[in-house]
Amino acid sequence: MKKYLAIFRISFAQEFAYRLNFIMWRVRNVMQIILIFFLWSSVFSDPSRVVFGYDKARILTYVFGILIIKAIVLSARTVDVAGEISSGDLTNFLLKPVSYFKYWFTRDLSSKALNLSFAVVETTILYFILKPPFFFQTDITQIAAFIFSLILAIILFFGLLFLSNLITFWMPEQGWSAQFLVIVIITDFLSGGVFPLDIFPLVVQKILYALPFPYLLFFPLQVYLGKISGSMMWGGILIAMAWTLIIMAGLNFVWNKGIRKYEAVGR
Amino acid sequence: MSKNAFIQVLINKFGASILLTGKIFRFVFFMTFLIFLLKGTQNLAGYNLNQTIFFFLTFNLVDILAQFLYREVYRFRPLIVSGGFDLVLTKPISPLFRSLMGGADILDFFTIPPLIFAVIVIGRTLDPSLAATSYYVLLVINGLIIATAFHIVVISLGIITLEIDHTIMIYRDLTNLGRLPIDIYKEPLKGILTYLIPVGIMITLPAKALMGLVSASGVIVSFAIGIVALFVAKRFWGFALKKYTSASS
Repeated sequence: MKKYLAIFRISFAQEFAYRLNFIMWRVRNVMQIILIFFLWSSVFSDPSRVVFGYDKARILTYVFGILIIKAIVLSARTVDVAGEISSGDLTNFLLKPVSYFKYWFTRDLSSKALNLSFAVVETTILYFILKPPFFFQTDITQIAAFIFSLILAIILFFGLLFLSNLITFWMPEQGWSAQFLVIVIITDFLSGGVFPLDIFPLVVQKILYALPFPYLLFFPLQVYLGKISGSMMWGGILIAMAWTLIIMAGLNFVWNKGIRKYEAVGR
Repeated sequence: MSKNAFIQVLINKFGASILLTGKIFRFVFFMTFLIFLLKGTQNLAGYNLNQTIFFFLTFNLVDILAQFLYREVYRFRPLIVSGGFDLVLTKPISPLFRSLMGGADILDFFTIPPLIFAVIVIGRTLDPSLAATSYYVLLVINGLIIATAFHIVVISLGIITLEIDHTIMIYRDLTNLGRLPIDIYKEPLKGILTYLIPVGIMITLPAKALMGLVSASGVIVSFAIGIVALFVAKRFWGFALKKYTSASS
């Protein structure tokens, strides 16, 4: 445990080595939120309007919630795994008494801690500038389920991201392409990172709910907003748990196959 | 140079096809979102579905044309960090031209024709006059002039700060604010996006021109802003070049 705490501290400090990069990254996050915020503000120019089951307070809470939840779920250093496999740097870790999965999960947690602290500051500043109406959840069951679904989302995203990196074992130059397609494009859209998924017809929503992506951002936020509750909420949590288990088992399987293929090229 | 860039991309066929697939997915996802959104809300800031889609298509047209032409900007940082830019400076070719247009992006070459086709199809549903169509073409060209100015500023900042990747992505995020008509934004952001960072002139104004919402004087003022932006960017490039330290070479 002590060594992972040390990894957490070092990784946290490393994020500050490239301060400008980090600040620019956060600026980008804020700008993406600004587009979505004004888009929905325009749709809800009449404050009494209800569209797709959202009133103004709920949709703007969704927009700001996405900023926070993205920082918690999608902030990760695991993107660097592909580079370590293709450069042969993975060898260093295979020789050390450290679990490679736990190492990267710890680094992800440190990245999340830093990004979350910035996201909270950004949200506070934007709140005072834009003064949106907010929806505050008071039901303790919904809040508990929200926190639990967030924990599942963190593990699920770790599995998905790690898995997309492992293509590098077979195609050393293609780590970025799998990440681009699976993480940057598909995950961002199908997880509800750009727009809430319930604007789609019911049949499309049902298909999406059968995939792992909505359980990263959309589902936890729906639970917070109280749009999903009762048996639907627990059913959703069960599906998220099932996907987490499937992805982690898949990760284990592909890792074991990949490590046999690994040739430590460059070492 | 562009031929070499095309060959380089085509060598890695798998990566190129994934990248192309990703770009198409992103376009289709956002388009689908707009269609379902407008079906639910009927209009966005007073624009109907076809008009909103046309704003989005115009954004894509300007954005993809700029990426196609100026892809080399994304490869500029290693030249500066390694000192390899020395070799560019010593060659009998404009370093600005080389840094901006040293390698067009073949992937965008594939996406431009269907995009232009979509612009024409949706544009025709808006029933534009000949003058409106001419203004649209002129303002898209002006949008590209402003995009050129932005890219020059990005590589100039790259020389001074050694930072390109995030700066170019911030430029992309700023232009992304033009994916939808800037009428959705409130003041002062709307004013900033129109005049200070002329994303509105780059993207929203051409689309509005096709809808007959821009006068001839509007077109002239827009061109004036575009030319001033290019002039300022060019001066900044000259300033940045004087700061180049040739480090690591």
